[in-house]
Amino acid sequence: MTGSPRSTPADRPVPALAGGPGPAPAGLPAAAEQVIGSYLTEVVHRLIGPARARRDILAELGAGLADATDGYRPAGLDPDQAVRAAIAEFGRPEQVADGFRAELTAAQARRTALALLRTGPLVGLLWLGAALASRIGAQLAAPWHWANMPVGARLVTHLAGIAFVIAIGGALVTVATTGRLTRWVPGWLPARPRWLGAGSAASAAIAAVAVGGTAAIDIALLALLATQAVSTPGRLAALPVAVAAVASLTRLTLTSRAARKCLTTSVACLSSPAGA
Amino acid sequence: MRAQALKGHLDGMLLAALEDGPRHGYAVMEALRVGSDGQFDLPTGTIYPALRRLERAGLVHTRWSEDSGRRRRLYELTPAGRRMLDDERNAWREFSTAVTALLGPLPRPVTS
Repeated sequence: MTGSPRSTPADRPVPALAGGPGPAPAGLPAAAEQVIGSYLTEVVHRLIGPARARRDILAELGAGLADATDGYRPAGLDPDQAVRAAIAEFGRPEQVADGFRAELTAAQARRTALALLRTGPLVGLLWLGAALASRIGAQLAAPWHWANMPVGARLVTHLAGIAFVIAIGGALVTVATTGRLTRWVPGWLPARPRWLGAGSAASAAIAAVAVGGTAAIDIALLALLATQAVSTPGRLAALPVAVAAVASLTRLTLTSRAARKCLTTSVACLSSPAGA
Repeated sequence: MRAQALKGHLDGMLLAALEDGPRHGYAVMEALRVGSDGQFDLPTGTIYPALRRLERAGLVHTRWSEDSGRRRRLYELTPAGRRMLDDERNAWREFSTAVTALLGPLPRPVTS
């Protein structure tokens, strides 16, 4: 083919990744790259957590294995022997994957909690805007001042208030326990890896609770909206209300997935010798 | 036994391996192996989660570097990491001085 001046990166064997193809380690014979690729595939199948973190881990492991392979070449090993020695040095795929479990669980929990804290104000503002545009409680747009609120709706708003506290509290605790505070876990604890695994699992469980709180808020807001739409339909400003409702529905969909992921990683973290 | 004893001090040694400048994960592993004269020979794959944990704790920060077609994650001590390294070092000095004082005088044949 005279059309292509150089070989494209697509010619290179890329390990099949669940989260999209990562960069394959360069500069090794194709056969060696293939061996590394299938090793990485075995590792990635055992990793549960955010796709980006898993991609980063694979890229890093791939480069490390390539470096290790290079390191064995001067010792007189042929490429095939060198790559096998490198893989033996890294450890069994399940051992390597287990080591990442606590980290990936913490990453999942943190990501989820930060997403809640970042999107919370936006969704809140959209609902506030919807209430103001509908001239509901123009001075104070809190839902419990909305017009013609039945007792049931009043109860729902109070429950939503509790859910709000749970969601914010849970998200803040998760962010705190998965970040810089971890530096103060005493290093001399002999069972430290196990503690780490349990800590990450707890953070992820708390993140899942925070997600549950957020979902409760969204459900409450949508229920209140439905009540309002039935009791005084003409009052609602269609566009702002629709935007706010879509935002809440979107968040409900996304967060239910996030909660599942948090719980999955949390359980996986507890059921493995994390940090082995 | 040795691996178990190592785990409690792994963080300090990882930080020490980064003291002279940024390194990627595999270079950190080699520094540990060479620096300990082959005594500490963990499965290399277990170094990476430990480095990630240090990053999460704000003790190191990372960036990607591209070199000869390989994308490597470079780890670098943060100011907090440097302080933590000093703390670990002092704690180890006190501890090892005490242990040496207690174990040192006993004339025992060295068996391994």
